[in-house]
Amino acid sequence: MFIYYVRLALLSYRRNPILSSLMVLAVAIGIGAYMVIFTLNYFMGGDPIPHKSAQLFHVQLDYGNPSFPDFDPPPQLTYIDTLALLELTSRYPRTASSKFVGVVEPDNPEIRPFSVSGRGNFSDFFTMFDIPFQYGSGWDRSADEGRQQVIVLSRELNEQLFGGIDSVGETVHLHGYNFTVTGVLDNWSPVPKFYDVNNGPFDPIEEAYIPWHLIVDLRMDRAGNTNCWQAPEGDGFQAFLNAECAWIQFWVELQDRTAYEDYLNLINNYAAEQKSFGRLQQPVDKRLFDVNEWMVEQEVLPDETRILSALAAMLLAVCLLNTVGLLLSKFLGKAPEIGVRQALGAHKGSLFIQHVIEAGFIGALGGLLGLGVAALGLEGIKVLMGDLIVSDWMHLNLTVVVVTIVLAVVSTVIAGLYPIWRACNINPAIHLKLQ
Amino acid sequence: MLKMTHISKVFRTDLVETQALRDISLDVAEGEFITITGPSGCGKTTFLNIAGLLETWTDGQYLLDGEDVSRLSDYQRAKLRNQKIGFIFQSFNLMPDLNLFDNVDVPLRYRGMKAAERKDRIDRALDSVGLLSRKKHLPSQLSGGQQQRVAIARALVGEPRFLLADEPTGNLDSNTAEGVMELLQSINAAGTTIIMVTHDPSLASRSARNIHFLDGYIADTDPNTVVGQLEAVS
Repeated sequence: MFIYYVRLALLSYRRNPILSSLMVLAVAIGIGAYMVIFTLNYFMGGDPIPHKSAQLFHVQLDYGNPSFPDFDPPPQLTYIDTLALLELTSRYPRTASSKFVGVVEPDNPEIRPFSVSGRGNFSDFFTMFDIPFQYGSGWDRSADEGRQQVIVLSRELNEQLFGGIDSVGETVHLHGYNFTVTGVLDNWSPVPKFYDVNNGPFDPIEEAYIPWHLIVDLRMDRAGNTNCWQAPEGDGFQAFLNAECAWIQFWVELQDRTAYEDYLNLINNYAAEQKSFGRLQQPVDKRLFDVNEWMVEQEVLPDETRILSALAAMLLAVCLLNTVGLLLSKFLGKAPEIGVRQALGAHKGSLFIQHVIEAGFIGALGGLLGLGVAALGLEGIKVLMGDLIVSDWMHLNLTVVVVTIVLAVVSTVIAGLYPIWRACNINPAIHLKLQ
Repeated sequence: MLKMTHISKVFRTDLVETQALRDISLDVAEGEFITITGPSGCGKTTFLNIAGLLETWTDGQYLLDGEDVSRLSDYQRAKLRNQKIGFIFQSFNLMPDLNLFDNVDVPLRYRGMKAAERKDRIDRALDSVGLLSRKKHLPSQLSGGQQQRVAIARALVGEPRFLLADEPTGNLDSNTAEGVMELLQSINAAGTTIIMVTHDPSLASRSARNIHFLDGYIADTDPNTVVGQLEAVS
């Protein structure tokens, strides 16, 4: 009977093409607009590293000023605390990281020096975050400890400097120093950029990666947020490093509960010790956040998306209300046919199913057209946002397509319940005589 | 096979109460061909709708094949209509976007019959009304008489025990009406009970029993008297 009812739905569409198309259009606009926002939320709020997100933890300490109770601890660490955590244990993969900008001087005299965004990090950074390589690999721990001038390039920077060939072993002149290339990243653009959400969670990844200690050793120009709750005592870079200024992200990989407890115990002890020295006076609720907890804690999804979600839901509701009216008109217009079907043996249940399928058919068509509306909407957002954020991820993947169709069908059927109920409860006797 | 006892029907609105049927008692035997006559508004169609379980009644008892159908659910009434009752309407009531085959198929669909058996029955029903060769045509491609033949095929395809026909020749010219009447008589001769509402005294005179309705009552069941009165009026 299902196929029979689908065929009846198709015939019904052809009988009233304008009315039916209006309903499809109303559903498409409502669903399309809603799915644009859903897609943004889905990707922006999604798990950027689902297979490991529960094992990667961001470390936060009780940094802040107790005289300002509303002061939220910044999401980064000071240089002093970072060094201490690095010394605390090397049992678990961990990385400090922070941004810098530097000028690259290409060997090719035809290419003028240009600025690149960079990141100082530890060798574990590449393995912890499963970063794919096109050529070579990251450096090893000895390079961290030996503060070797090694560098990993993004695919784009390698294209720019070396024409995209395997550049492992080549030299890059950055910030006046020579760095040896150990690897070139493959395409990689986590959304959100979870390892540094407080410096633009939707920014593109950095173009160059060097051992973290070199940021200090070579006086690289730091970039990104810096939060100081106390002015440095003295002038100069060393005074800044010793100050209560947070500018470093710190991640650790803890594979199981035992490792988690062990590491938490270590940093709790460290925090207690520092507290006894008069530091770390601002209590925090939590010191270890896994990736998804960190995304929530840092409110990666901007408030605007909530407002947009509400607006899109309202538009969808308005479109569905219109659909209710149109379905009512259509189904009550079918009263004579419904009367005949009742006379020939249809009970209310079968008529109900027939019309649910007809509403679902309209919803499915609306969903398909809504996919087009959503795709257009996403393209529009990409054009509007330009280079402000990475927008490669804004596309309709299989999940979004399935959600769109299911949402369209379900919402149209729900919108159709009242019209269907009215249609199924007509008095057939009246319509049989009048037809 | 159909027994109504003291059936009455009142239509009520907030302002008006209309007594459509008053104390109707009727016994229809298997194989009868009964015509219902009477002026407009006398309750003929209401009676037919009640007989076909399309309308509820206010008082009285209705037995169909010995079964009291007063308290049946919608599902049970629909099942009875589908299996025991065939309907023929004045305006044919074919579905305009279904071809003849699919129109005749409708009652069988609700019976959950297999496709092969449905096709066999539909072909036979259309053949019996002489329209098998046109089964892929739409109703709009047929004359009025042909459309009514399709409606009869649709009513017969489920092999019902009795047919309810509401002015089946009302929209047809006299020649075509004659053809439809002959078809109904042959169906009745094959054993199907028929109750037919008509305004045409010549058609009423061809049934074994005529029941004349007046103001919701059965005024007369003598065919000669009633038909004679109608002829005098016309």
